[in-house]
Amino acid sequence: MSIDLEKISEAITKGQIEQLQEMTTQALDTDTDPGVILNKGLLPGMDKVGQLWREGEMFMPEVLRSAKAMSKAMEILRPRLSEGDLGSAGKMVIGTVAGDLHDIGKDLAGMMFEGAGYEVINIGIDQPNEAFVEAAMKHKPDVLGMSALLTTTMPRMGEVINSLKESGVRDQMAVIIGGAPVTQEFADEIGADLYAPNAGSAVDLTKKYFAQQ
Amino acid sequence: MKINQKINKSTQFKVLSEDQIEQIFYSALRVLEQTGGQIFHDEALELFRNSDAVVNGNSVRIPTFMVEEALNFYPRKISLRGRNKKNELHLQKDTVAFGTGSDLPFTYDRKTGERRRTLYNDVKNAAKIVDALSNYDFFMSHGIVGDAPNPQTYDRHQFMAMLENCTKPMVVTSVDGEGLEDLWKMGSLVQGGEEEFRLNPLFVAYIEPISPLKNDRTAIEKLLFAAEKKIPAMYTPCPSSGATAPATMAGMLVQSLAETLLATVLCHLKNPGMPLIMGGVTTLLDMKKSTYSYGAPELSLASAANTDISKWLNLIMFSTGGCSDSKILDEQAAAEQMTNLFYSYLSGANLIHDVGYIDHGTNASLESLVLNQEMMGMVKQFGKGINTDDDHLALDLIEKQGPGGEYVTTDHTFKHWKEWYLPDLQDRSDYETWLKNGSKTMGDRVKERTQDLLDNYQPEQIEDKLKQELMKIVDDADKRHS
Repeated sequence: MSIDLEKISEAITKGQIEQLQEMTTQALDTDTDPGVILNKGLLPGMDKVGQLWREGEMFMPEVLRSAKAMSKAMEILRPRLSEGDLGSAGKMVIGTVAGDLHDIGKDLAGMMFEGAGYEVINIGIDQPNEAFVEAAMKHKPDVLGMSALLTTTMPRMGEVINSLKESGVRDQMAVIIGGAPVTQEFADEIGADLYAPNAGSAVDLTKKYFAQQ
Repeated sequence: MKINQKINKSTQFKVLSEDQIEQIFYSALRVLEQTGGQIFHDEALELFRNSDAVVNGNSVRIPTFMVEEALNFYPRKISLRGRNKKNELHLQKDTVAFGTGSDLPFTYDRKTGERRRTLYNDVKNAAKIVDALSNYDFFMSHGIVGDAPNPQTYDRHQFMAMLENCTKPMVVTSVDGEGLEDLWKMGSLVQGGEEEFRLNPLFVAYIEPISPLKNDRTAIEKLLFAAEKKIPAMYTPCPSSGATAPATMAGMLVQSLAETLLATVLCHLKNPGMPLIMGGVTTLLDMKKSTYSYGAPELSLASAANTDISKWLNLIMFSTGGCSDSKILDEQAAAEQMTNLFYSYLSGANLIHDVGYIDHGTNASLESLVLNQEMMGMVKQFGKGINTDDDHLALDLIEKQGPGGEYVTTDHTFKHWKEWYLPDLQDRSDYETWLKNGSKTMGDRVKERTQDLLDNYQPEQIEDKLKQELMKIVDDADKRHS
């Protein structure tokens, strides 16, 4: 029995978490190529979600439900995927800088990245600069995300970037920052690659950034 | 088990206590006994002469028992039905419907930015917009047709422009009794006959006395015709506190209630049980600019108090909101319109009219109608109050998610966020996104939406045969008055 990849896409857009897990397992059981499941089933589904979100047709709780469905399916799929299959869906380390206990924005962004197929390592809130550098060296992410909600903690993000440079890993990843007081200007100032004004736009900006590289 | 629980299903708002309402009611009765009203209509004077009222020339004074008797006969519920049968309104205590006002002589020209005379086409466009926007429950013409072949028949043309482009229930103005008769014939054609119109009227006739306590011939002519045919009608005092009513809110309410009660007695003498609606545009004369104010907070306050009185009298209430003195659709307009929308809604008035008025009720603006759609949505949300059942208190969820947890991915959020008001034209985006999307103001977005509705919205058409029958009434009126 073959699996209808369009049904997989549809289950993603509808946020049907359990059905999607079943379908993914079933697809693997019937020897469907894992790369095909990802690139012809899951990712087109999330692209559709992204499009509906941008058009104002889908809302945050719905998008996050789809993202959760995606990340659950990826848990099943990831061990079977080869490096080449992953394409744009890479790895991310994300956290909130030292002195800042706010996490909802950072978590939302992380969930959106999971929804895009990323493996997201969320190192949590109030993380000292070294924790970001250590995580970056250990996980070798494609994207490092940092957030700060307070003007007093914003400068930590620049310090992390400097530490990454000192450790010689800065160029191996794109750094994306966000948080209410953060601006594009500030991002440029501290040498971040990307600035996302809200959690919903972070994935799109990152995709565009990599496409241009 | 809990005892002595009281749950507010909606937000609560009241201006007057029952004792205050009684004070105003007894005072209005005293006005009718002592001062009475003036009537300039022979049949009405005859009706009063043949009753226990005391008539001297044009002056009529009315004993209290006549008022009390008349009040027993008015319906507590009136159902209106638009050309599209789905657009029904059940006017009854504390159900609120929003609608436009009518007969604005000028229109804000969207192309030139200038104020000019209102034309047939402007009423058509207003009708389309009201038909398209969900928070408008009924339609008044917004503008007055200034290019009819004859001013004496403008009302038939205006009604045609309204009917062709809006399928919602309406409130209509007419030139005189004959005009109202034509509109009623047209309305009956649409509803499928006079009997159907009686059960589910298409419109309410708007009629007003002249404050203080004066009733002119055409107003009474319309009122008596409405009573005869049992057409719903509102007799709406429009006093300006300090000029045509006492400068105190209480005094204005007493006088305007006396004006209303006089009409209840007259209609009762003519034909008991006609669906009469209490009304009022109760505001003040601005003492600096000598204008009748549509944006004064006193309008909101007096209107809400008037609605309290109407409920106590078991009368359906026609109130005022969404209107402003500002010459253009600007910050002042939004502030004033929002204020009087809010209080009129919370008061529980049944028909709230004048939504979208600017320039103290002289200038018609389609964009103002579009802006008010958004504001009415916000106001209605506020009225919903707070549900405090177990599911909404969410104790289990708070425990489950715990300190530092999140709610955005929970099933509870997925289910309940849809109870929130969903903004349409309001911008809640972050600064960078707003910048990227063109730094548009609310005014810009309102303009775009207005144009989009005019370009793309198509109201349901009237079938040809019916249209011809309606046009025949209009043409005949034009011939009679040529």
